[in-house]
Amino acid sequence: MIYYLFDIPFSLLGNQFSLNLLSCQLLLDQLTEWHAVASWTWDAQDETCGICRMAFDGCCPDCKLPGDDCPLIWGACNHAFHLHCILKWVNSQTPQAHCPMCRREWQFKG
Amino acid sequence: MTMDATSSVCNLAILESLDENLIGEILESWNGFCFTTESLLKGNGDLSFGSEFESHAQTLCKHGLESLVQEHFLRSLENTFEKNGASKFWRHFDPYSNVAVLDIDKDPIDEVEVQHVLCKALEELSLEKEYQEKYLLMLVHALQSFKDKESEGRQSSEAERVRLFSKYQLIMASVLMATLPRHFPDVLHWYFKGKLEELSSIMSRVCEDDNESQDKDDMDLDERSKLPCRTGDMDIDGCHHQRRFLENHKLVKNIGMVVRDLRSLGFTSMAEDAYASAIFMLLKAKVHDLAGDDFRSSVLESIKGWIQAVPLQFLYALLAYLGDSVNYDSPLSGLRSPLASYPSSCYPGMGVPSEGLVRWQLRLEYFAYETLQDLRIAKLFEIVVDYPDSSPAIEDLKQCLEYTGQHSKLVDSFISALRYRLLTAGASTYDILHQYISTIKALRTIDPAGIFLEAVGEPIREYLKGRKDTIKCIVTMLTDGTSGDPNGAGSTGDSLLEELNREEENQENTDDDDINTDDKQAWINAQRWEPDPAEADPLKGSRHRRKVDILGMIVGIIGSKDQLVNEYRVMLAEKLLNKSDYDIDSEIRTLELLKIHFGESSMQRCEIMLNDLIDSKRTNTNIKATINQPSQSGAELRDQGVSLDILNATIISSNFWPPIQDEALNIPGPMEQLLSDYGKRFTEIKTPRKLLWKKSLGTVKLELQFEDRALQFTVTPIHASIIMQFQDQPSWTSKNLAAAIGIPVDVLNRRIIFWISKGILADSLGVDTNDHTYTMVDAMVDAGKTGVNSGSCEELLVGDEDGERSVASVEDQLRKEMTVYEKFITGMLTNFGSTALDRIHNTLKMFCVADPPYDKSLQQLQSFLSGLVAEEKLELRDGMYILKKS
Ligand SMILES: [Zn+2]
Ligand SMILES: [Zn+2]
Ligand SMILES: [Zn+2]
Repeated sequence: MIYYLFDIPFSLLGNQFSLNLLSCQLLLDQLTEWHAVASWTWDAQDETCGICRMAFDGCCPDCKLPGDDCPLIWGACNHAFHLHCILKWVNSQTPQAHCPMCRREWQFKG
Repeated sequence: MTMDATSSVCNLAILESLDENLIGEILESWNGFCFTTESLLKGNGDLSFGSEFESHAQTLCKHGLESLVQEHFLRSLENTFEKNGASKFWRHFDPYSNVAVLDIDKDPIDEVEVQHVLCKALEELSLEKEYQEKYLLMLVHALQSFKDKESEGRQSSEAERVRLFSKYQLIMASVLMATLPRHFPDVLHWYFKGKLEELSSIMSRVCEDDNESQDKDDMDLDERSKLPCRTGDMDIDGCHHQRRFLENHKLVKNIGMVVRDLRSLGFTSMAEDAYASAIFMLLKAKVHDLAGDDFRSSVLESIKGWIQAVPLQFLYALLAYLGDSVNYDSPLSGLRSPLASYPSSCYPGMGVPSEGLVRWQLRLEYFAYETLQDLRIAKLFEIVVDYPDSSPAIEDLKQCLEYTGQHSKLVDSFISALRYRLLTAGASTYDILHQYISTIKALRTIDPAGIFLEAVGEPIREYLKGRKDTIKCIVTMLTDGTSGDPNGAGSTGDSLLEELNREEENQENTDDDDINTDDKQAWINAQRWEPDPAEADPLKGSRHRRKVDILGMIVGIIGSKDQLVNEYRVMLAEKLLNKSDYDIDSEIRTLELLKIHFGESSMQRCEIMLNDLIDSKRTNTNIKATINQPSQSGAELRDQGVSLDILNATIISSNFWPPIQDEALNIPGPMEQLLSDYGKRFTEIKTPRKLLWKKSLGTVKLELQFEDRALQFTVTPIHASIIMQFQDQPSWTSKNLAAAIGIPVDVLNRRIIFWISKGILADSLGVDTNDHTYTMVDAMVDAGKTGVNSGSCEELLVGDEDGERSVASVEDQLRKEMTVYEKFITGMLTNFGSTALDRIHNTLKMFCVADPPYDKSLQQLQSFLSGLVAEEKLELRDGMYILKKS
């Protein structure tokens, strides 16, 4: 160890600065993986579903998994609901269903 | 010495009719009788006065003084015995009078010498007794021939002989008893101890021989079966056994003679006590010797075997020998033992010794059980530490306790061992939990009903409740087989939950009948030792009623399963967020197990968290396969060596995760660009959903290239962002660097320690003492410092290493929620002085009904209070909380 300290560094001393530069430039090349974390959210105006009162980012009472399994759906009036919630609502409101929020005639947004 | 009633009446009648001549004759005869008696007794076998003695005695009898003759003669015998027999006899043992006061266990006595002295003394005394009996027989003859002349029946004279001899026996015994020195019982004890040890070593030699011959037999078996006649072999066997028998028999006979001599001297019970105590001592030594500190083999059978082989064989031979002797002994036979003329044998027939032997066996086995039990109980702590390797010792202990029923001894002793050795500040919570689980596992063998396990576990549970990291340790142990035990002891790579589950499956596969009998036994045992009316209610008697529930006992420490599940959720979140692959197989397995035990609905949120990981993996692949091909920035990024290949993402459904501690962070520009591309693509695929990046979370793998080697690191995005700032500028002040990365200076100063500790950056205080300057350490100095590592090495940064976590811990969450009540609690303690946990809890419930209402459990309150104790705001004394005086 002691020999090593005495023998080698001396020859390297002159190159000290360029060595640093070398290591720094290689830094980004050697970024092998960046594992990031994100949360998803529905791009909706409200936070909660007007029918079940559950968070949009959660799921409707009939579902266990949020997201793909319990999607949101927008009406022509631009109100959003859990798909499952509004379907139930629409089916119960024959012949014509209205938006639970604005009472306008319910139409799925095209 | 009682006078015979009828003869004294006779005497009186005769005395009245005496004339002077007669009195002269009587006096002359009396004097002659006294003189000859004295001469006889002094004469040591000189019988020349025999006829004179006889005629004097007969003369006196003629005058009706027979009883006087007898009395005088017996008294003379007594005096002589006292002088020549007893005092001489005791003098032999004088050398041991001082040693005797010492502890017998120390055994400073030369046993061979004791044996020698005792035998010699008994021999001498028996010789003396032999002479005296000869003289007594002369008297009997004299009286008998007198009676023959008077033509009395022979039968009554035989009775007279027996009466006189038994009277003599009694006199002699009383003399010995009256002069008995205190140390004589000890001398006897040493004698028997020595002899028994001799016997024991002979027996062990015989056993070895037996084994050898057994081996031989096995080897010869084939050849032997070819032989038409096997008598030769039989003979050899016979000889072998005979030799053993003779050898033992000689020794036992020797002891038997001593016992018989002692009995004939009136020391029946003393002799028995002596050999009994010697046997028990030897047995105790044998148990200690066999048992030792080896817990990995059962010793009970070999102890029982030894009891059969040595003490019982000895007792059998001894009792048989003493019992047989009744048949061929005559008063003067003197062949075997002259002293044994009237053995007061309690075992006259052969059937009786075996009954006595059974009693002995029971006594010895009980003693052995108790000795082994005490030995094992004293070492129970070590045995439990050694479990399951020590299960043979546990099995032995179980059998012992079933026999002795002294379970309470175990409970008391083990609890104090736990208090002294385990429940101390120095023991880690993991250690305590491991010992607790080992205790449950080990003791449920002994106590399938778990009744005194309850008592033993109580102090451990109470102690653990006072520790802050208990829940965390429990959850880790339950769910994580790899890192559960930081010491690595006993970790098999299996989580405790996994182990319990496997055990349960095995149990289900075993026969139902087995379980039933187990339970029955448990019930019987339960009744035998500590009936607990609340627990041992037979009405609750379902089949699974009394199984020891390890998981239940562990959850019992925490208080409720909800707390356990909560803690697990936080730990799971932390683990998942630090994953750089999407490999969650073991987490899925654990979740399945948790669902079995805690119900599906309790684990719902955890299930969604795992599902997020599965979805993330799918989405990640999808996004990277379909992302729009190179935008302008893409080409630019590739120039800088960054492509989308290096980016992976975990996308969480944050509503179902515990609160995430996300800090603002400026990551390097190219990375920022990548994230935004990725997010855009996500929205395209999953519209109308979008991503919210938590930039400070996740893991980054990077490699630092130096001239002679590359160093690989897995770090947090903050650490990555810090080090990457140094590629443009080799030196930064902390203020500038913090601003560039977008984090507070104190956070920077804390996080950057990682790079300093790795020798990558150096910290030097600048002109402004509040501002640090960080500089890239040059390759040369670094190489000298860690030259051994040169080459490539991987450094892993785990979340806890610098105390930074991605998820708020349950304590932190609780603490946040509880801080509202801290003032209230302080006020309460100021007013009430020392207050118990229950009372604080109830008072909070009563008064904090709004803003926000107090809805915490007792355990949560306790955990919060122990935090305050740790901060030295409160003190916990004897279960009462008091304000710490500052
Ligand atoms: Zn809904
Ligand atoms: Zn749904
Ligand atoms: Zn509407």
